[in-house]
Amino acid sequence: MAKLTIDGKELEVPDGTRLFDACTEARGKPLPHFCYHPDLSVAGVCRLCQVEIEGMPKLAIACNTIVNDGMVVHTNNERVRKASEQILEMHLINHPVDCPICDQAGECGLQNQYMEYGLYDSKVEMVQKTHKKKAKVIGPQVILDQERCVLCSRCVRFCNEVTGTGELGIYNRGDRAEIDTAPGVDLDNNYSLNTVDICPVGALTSRDFRFQKRVWMLKAAESICPGCSTGCNVRIDYEGSRIYRLKPRFNPDVNRRWMCDKGRMLYKAVHDEKRLTEPMKRSGGELQTLGWQEASETAVGMLKPGRVDLVLGSPHLSLEEAVLLRRLGLKLAGEDQLVGGVAGAEVRPGDDLLLNSDRTPNRAGLRMAGWQELPVAELVAKLREARGTVLVHGGNPAADESVREALAGCQHVLYIGTHRNETAGTAALALPGAAWAEKAGIFVNKDGRLQAFKSSIVRPGQAREDWRVLSELLAAAGEEEAPGSLRALRKSVGADLFPDVEFNLVALPARGVNPTAPVAGGEG
Amino acid sequence: MSFEGLPKGTGAKKASFRDAIYFWEILRGLGVTIKHLVYNIFHTAEMPTMQYPEEKRVYSDRFRGRHRLMQREDGTPRCVACQMCSTVCPADCIAIQGAEHPDSEIEKFPETFEIDLLRCVFCGLCEEACPCDAIRLDTGIYEIAADSREKFIVQKDFLLNNKEDGTY
Repeated sequence: MAKLTIDGKELEVPDGTRLFDACTEARGKPLPHFCYHPDLSVAGVCRLCQVEIEGMPKLAIACNTIVNDGMVVHTNNERVRKASEQILEMHLINHPVDCPICDQAGECGLQNQYMEYGLYDSKVEMVQKTHKKKAKVIGPQVILDQERCVLCSRCVRFCNEVTGTGELGIYNRGDRAEIDTAPGVDLDNNYSLNTVDICPVGALTSRDFRFQKRVWMLKAAESICPGCSTGCNVRIDYEGSRIYRLKPRFNPDVNRRWMCDKGRMLYKAVHDEKRLTEPMKRSGGELQTLGWQEASETAVGMLKPGRVDLVLGSPHLSLEEAVLLRRLGLKLAGEDQLVGGVAGAEVRPGDDLLLNSDRTPNRAGLRMAGWQELPVAELVAKLREARGTVLVHGGNPAADESVREALAGCQHVLYIGTHRNETAGTAALALPGAAWAEKAGIFVNKDGRLQAFKSSIVRPGQAREDWRVLSELLAAAGEEEAPGSLRALRKSVGADLFPDVEFNLVALPARGVNPTAPVAGGEG
Repeated sequence: MSFEGLPKGTGAKKASFRDAIYFWEILRGLGVTIKHLVYNIFHTAEMPTMQYPEEKRVYSDRFRGRHRLMQREDGTPRCVACQMCSTVCPADCIAIQGAEHPDSEIEKFPETFEIDLLRCVFCGLCEEACPCDAIRLDTGIYEIAADSREKFIVQKDFLLNNKEDGTY
């Protein structure tokens, strides 16, 4: 341990701690910085985090200094403030100050730093500034504005150290230095949008989010990416009933500060025009919309005990829904008539960073709830035998051609889902459920970590939260203890699945919890 | 709480028959009206009434009327869709959707620009917030009428439709 004094405050930190992190701890907020990033190597190029260390003749950058016992550090005296101000002025010399059309405005390091340390009048006229390329498309997801760049090299280090693809580099010297891709190379990897996140200014912006919304108008909801079984922690940025972007949320045990581009685009499916927004019933070969009242009655009629031949779950269901659907299934049919989904479905090549080959968010949770998956052939055989009602909840099992054919052969398919997909196309009655962003729930990732996601936008049309639909059907099937709230449902799920483990499903810790590694909250 | 000791009723005298029918008071009131009528007939120049819409009041140059969007020399909007105006707007009456401009020098332009004139409070904060002098409330137009609510939500083309000298 090293004892040091920062701004008159004494603290003790482990040996080998960066002075930058020690300062953050002492000050309660980080020093001004552009180039330092906790998940990347230290570059020390922005020179903004300079502090005065007593006994050293010059100011030192905190990011590239390791703490020493007995250090006395000043982060906010006259000399340091002056240095920060001057360095900031240097950074802004050739900056175009086009904040009105810059997507970064509102979450920009330069803006924040200027409000804290700058507030001077520029000594440089607009015409004197070095002009570089603006709005240069450097990849399928990212657009580069070389003028705005402060050459912190975070994006270059990210591509070298995290993805190992090395598309970006700094070319030329002096005020002509610029970030660019090598000739003929595109910034085209599945993690390219992370460079946009870590860019402290508006040099790298997302082509998808570009000009869609000013960031200060967005609200944020904590969520979990439903794209694969890694379960990256994400933040949904939304306004009104529209999601504008997904951003990674820090979780040292899952995704650190990153997420993949595929995951970021998943919000688009929520706004798909093929969303199932009203209950629909087949009459004369066509699906016709109908009201919930009538739809519920029809559903209850279809789900009379003994009439149900198969209940098909999905790894896209949340943990609560999987448990509730299983309760409903056991009420209506036998154990061997419950199928958790198609084994091996939705497996596509992953990578060794975050993207898992299993592209479903909750397969572990489905198994936790007691569901067994079946191979396609066995499921198809079961479907061929089915004469009564087949209840399909979540996902799109009919994406598989043979399952679709078998489902189309069934007369009474009841589908609870989010989209008018192939499965809905085979249904006699389709009930609109909520997409992941529109409901709260728990996903269990590939390591068995339970992570809660919260709802953000309102559901479209008549769509309902799935657990409410299931709870209603359960009550109609004669269950006396059908849960009336998500809280009650979570309590009963917790009591069912984890009778011995002491943690609360109603209020899971922000980083999630792994019941198989019971050092709750302490790991990482 | 006790009501003891408080006066009962208002204590007013019962009105006489003459007062109760209000006849004399009506005549006195009419007298005032007729006095002003006769005075105004002979002194029309002093009358504060204006013969709107034949006659219109002249407002100061700083009067904030209906908004207009300023044009570049080629007639496209000056607005770069930075949404400072819709951010600062206390009535939340401006809705803008930005889009990529074909000219990379301009970069961003408003694909849609809507102002809900029914919600607008004509405070002028939007023109103060605008970094491009793209929106002004200097048209002097205060006659804003329509026969449906939808028609009060004016679009970009309507707001841009003003002549070079600033007149409509």
